[in-house]
Amino acid sequence: MDALIKNAKEGDHLAFAMLFKENYPFLVKYLMKITMNPDTAEELAQETMAKCIQKFHLYNGQSKFSTWLVSIATNTYIDQCRKKMREKNWQVQEEVYRKLKWSFESRNEEWNDALEALARLPEDVRIPIILKHYYGYSYEEIGDWMKISPGTVKSRVHNGIKSIRRELKVSEETESHHTGQRTTR
Amino acid sequence: MKKQKVIILGNEQLDKQDSAAIHELQEGLHHIDQFPVYSPDLSWFEQRVAAEKQQIRKKLIRDLALFLIIAFIILTGIIVSLFQMPVLFIFLQLVTTIFIVLYTSVSLLKKVSNG
Repeated sequence: MDALIKNAKEGDHLAFAMLFKENYPFLVKYLMKITMNPDTAEELAQETMAKCIQKFHLYNGQSKFSTWLVSIATNTYIDQCRKKMREKNWQVQEEVYRKLKWSFESRNEEWNDALEALARLPEDVRIPIILKHYYGYSYEEIGDWMKISPGTVKSRVHNGIKSIRRELKVSEETESHHTGQRTTR
Repeated sequence: MKKQKVIILGNEQLDKQDSAAIHELQEGLHHIDQFPVYSPDLSWFEQRVAAEKQQIRKKLIRDLALFLIIAFIILTGIIVSLFQMPVLFIFLQLVTTIFIVLYTSVSLLKKVSNG
């Protein structure tokens, strides 16, 4: 990997291509988690690649290449969200994650309540939760990428988990209520 | 003492509930990682890299040309005004100096009042 990065820095197109090919599935899957939309994830992955080529001279090799990709992808998604907000081209979140939910169902995978709750959260809360509790990045790193303070990241993660917990509780209660009804019949 | 114990227990329970939610979340997200992702072949990536680099070069040339043209226009204007209309030249110099001083002090004041 180090040799690939070194060659890419020297302008070798093939080394660049190999680096991207190696990291592409990881990048798309990360974007799928934060966008909750497979199509947007693919689009953003290509946009992220273009940005990486433009900014490759800024990559100092201190962090893993995949970590650097995650930081650029996160920024690209946040920029896209802001742009869409400005253009008032905002889709209802439920429409956005319907396709992912459908993909789960078609693969007979379980779309759990936590995912449903996560998908309903705004992206500025969803992203830090995923980065912290799935990828294990620190509050400082996440804050740095999202251009907010580590304290803000911490409180967003905390409040996000609280709201997921609340939704899980509600769905559990509804489920138990339904089973309760069924048993009485 | 008792009160403190209750608080600790309450926090523990909350932590447990949090970790249960986080665990469920991780499980769901792990399923996304199992999704097959189609990765295009190496030549496609190579083409993308080459195209992007060409675009970067084009943009650099365009920006540089724009910079040189604007610099040429400004310098021509200044030189012409210096030899043909010295009053205008002095006026422009004064206006520019006042503008720079005002702009710097306003932005400094803003920084001080914000920070």
